[in-house]
Amino acid sequence: MTQHIVASYENELRDLGRMVTEMGGRAERLVADSVKALMKRDAELAERVIVGDKSVDALQRDIEESAIAMIARRQPLATDLREIISALRVANDLERIGDLAKNTAKRALALDSDYQAQKPLRGLEHMSDMALEQLKSVLDAYSAHDDAKALAVWTRDGEIDAIYTSLFRELLTYMMEDPRRITLCTHLLFAAKNIERIGDHATNIAETIHYLVVGEAIADERPKSDTSSLTKMSLSR
Amino acid sequence: MDRYSRRLARNKMWLSLSIGAAAFGLFWLAAILSTLVWNGLAGLSLSVFTEMTPPPGSAGGLLNPIVGSLILTTLAVVIGTPIGILAGTYMAEYGRYDRITYIIRFINDILLSAPSIIIGLFIYEILVVPMGHFSGFAGSIALGVIVIPVVVRTTEDMLLLVPNQMREAAAAIGAPQWFVISRVTYRAARTGIITGVLLAIARISGETAPLLFTALNNQFWSVNLNAPMPSLPVVIFQFALSPYEDWQRLAWTGALIITAAVLTLSILARALASKGVEQ
Amino acid sequence: MMNAIAVRAQAAEAPNTREKMVIHDLSFYYGDNKALKNIDLTMHERQVSALIGPSGCGKSTLLRILNRIYGLYPNQRAEGEVWLDGENILRPEQDLNLLRAKVGMVFQKPTPFPMSIYENIAFGIRLYEKLSRAEMDERVERALSKAALWDEAKDRLNASALGLSGGQQQRLCIARTIAVKPEVILLDEPTSALDPISTAKVEDLIDELKQDFTITIVTHNMQQAARVADRTAFLYLGSLVEEGPTSQMFSNPKDRRTLDYITGRFG
Repeated sequence: MTQHIVASYENELRDLGRMVTEMGGRAERLVADSVKALMKRDAELAERVIVGDKSVDALQRDIEESAIAMIARRQPLATDLREIISALRVANDLERIGDLAKNTAKRALALDSDYQAQKPLRGLEHMSDMALEQLKSVLDAYSAHDDAKALAVWTRDGEIDAIYTSLFRELLTYMMEDPRRITLCTHLLFAAKNIERIGDHATNIAETIHYLVVGEAIADERPKSDTSSLTKMSLSR
Repeated sequence: MDRYSRRLARNKMWLSLSIGAAAFGLFWLAAILSTLVWNGLAGLSLSVFTEMTPPPGSAGGLLNPIVGSLILTTLAVVIGTPIGILAGTYMAEYGRYDRITYIIRFINDILLSAPSIIIGLFIYEILVVPMGHFSGFAGSIALGVIVIPVVVRTTEDMLLLVPNQMREAAAAIGAPQWFVISRVTYRAARTGIITGVLLAIARISGETAPLLFTALNNQFWSVNLNAPMPSLPVVIFQFALSPYEDWQRLAWTGALIITAAVLTLSILARALASKGVEQ
Repeated sequence: MMNAIAVRAQAAEAPNTREKMVIHDLSFYYGDNKALKNIDLTMHERQVSALIGPSGCGKSTLLRILNRIYGLYPNQRAEGEVWLDGENILRPEQDLNLLRAKVGMVFQKPTPFPMSIYENIAFGIRLYEKLSRAEMDERVERALSKAALWDEAKDRLNASALGLSGGQQQRLCIARTIAVKPEVILLDEPTSALDPISTAKVEDLIDELKQDFTITIVTHNMQQAARVADRTAFLYLGSLVEEGPTSQMFSNPKDRRTLDYITGRFG
């Protein structure tokens, strides 16, 4: 695309994109590290994640400042306006992802160093791999302004929701089998919810990418397969 | 001497030359004016304005030439100004882009600087000879012919100065062209056009040559346009060349009166022009 | 905010808005130079249409055809048709003065006549109507009020119009134009020469005026077009590139050149 006549405008837009990409990279790392801390019960890693979230928050503030200044000064239209608004939205979602990673790391700290919960843990690991994959994909789509890739992420959110629902049931069953596992399983439940939320935020970013490229919001309803809110377990066997 | 001091020296030399030339010109102007005032004032008295031209040797005034000049000038302006303004209006408004306007402007400029004696001779041929005698009528026509190119020039220039946007603004409301010209363009150029007329008057006040062939002169009181009419410039011509002292004195006074009149008109024109510029 | 944009977009596309001026296959020549190339464009009743484009694209030229003010100059001719209420105003028999009474124009540089404020407004009215002093007073007051100038001018109606500030002079020109009760008002970069406050006042005025008049505005200022216009047309090198509801033109234009122009990538 041709350059803006005002070179500084062009530079500001480019810097904004760069900041978002960097924020995305950091958020990705935080998510990966928080899951690893949870799986390996690595307290040190968990601490680093909690501290690392601060830099993600700082980046979000910088992006917001820059975007607001550009809107005031440059009076952007059409594609430029969408670029800046998208940067704001994506930064918001990435900031939430950072917070969710931090909370997951906190859960890792709360757990004892020795506990047995193989099956749910494996399920959790599988779900987090998927969520990480979604995040990576959507951040690539953002840099490339790739609408097709974004839409693929958008549709796959249903799969994460499905895994979460089954994990929910599994943990409930686990808890019912042995009350001593309640603490562990409750923490794992929250961790799983966090990861599911990370998947949702990745999907938000996908919607923003579609708006950025096409100029309209996605018309359809987001595929929702999370029926955990409707899950009932009877206490009787 | 290095380049800088050479430049300084050259600068000083040119400056001195310019000032010297200006002083030279001003000196002569001052000399003329002071001679005029000195000699003219000597003969200035109320009788100059109340008594007629005397035969040599007796006392008198300049009443009839003054009145004659006023009549001739007024009539010339009345004849020449409308023609001049209308012609200028045509050139600036209706025919601005036509070839013929270019030709008219060219001819007008020639007429503007034509020697006035030629105009006098021309009117002599076409009016005085067929009529069989000199007349004030012919005199005012000759002066009118001198007025026309001056007024045409200034009117066209002033009208051209009115910005086109003003004409467009008036036209855009639906005003027909003559309405735009009379109500808007003339008003905007009003000061300039009046200045032009004043300058024309100043110009013809002192013209002698054309009058020599047309109105000639008259020793007695005459307001008859069909007969020779007295005028200040011609009377000065006659009296100054004579060997009679009282006549010569009256000539100086007459010259002073003409100079004062032209000076007043010029100052008035200048004042009006600057007021117009301020706006 | 989104709601207001949607409402305006709806109004711009409403199929029942009457077509006020229809331009069909219009071309314009300065001598041999074809400055406008086969333009087709429609102005809808009581809507603001904006013409935008880079310098020399022909937007002012197009505007000046709509009241045939180009006819004051030689070597300029228009070919094609411009229909106003069912009549082709380009035909030779068209009465130009009547046309200009129906289609008023306000220019970029405020040009008050060298008369009093009252006379400026009365000038146009006197062309068409014979009014008593009282009726004329009322018309002048109404025109000045509608142009948001009454309060500032009512105490100096007989003072020279040249004593007003730039913004006031421009509003006087607008008052002068609407005093003769036109149906269409053409605005040629009306705020280019004004300060930001005066500009805002004029834009506010346009919002109000469009309830009664059909307005076409030429502007260099993209944001101004986005603010005041219902529909926008983008011209480039004498051709109409794209035309549509303003909200769509400025958020998602269809043509690449339009996008490049409005985002400041060329022009």
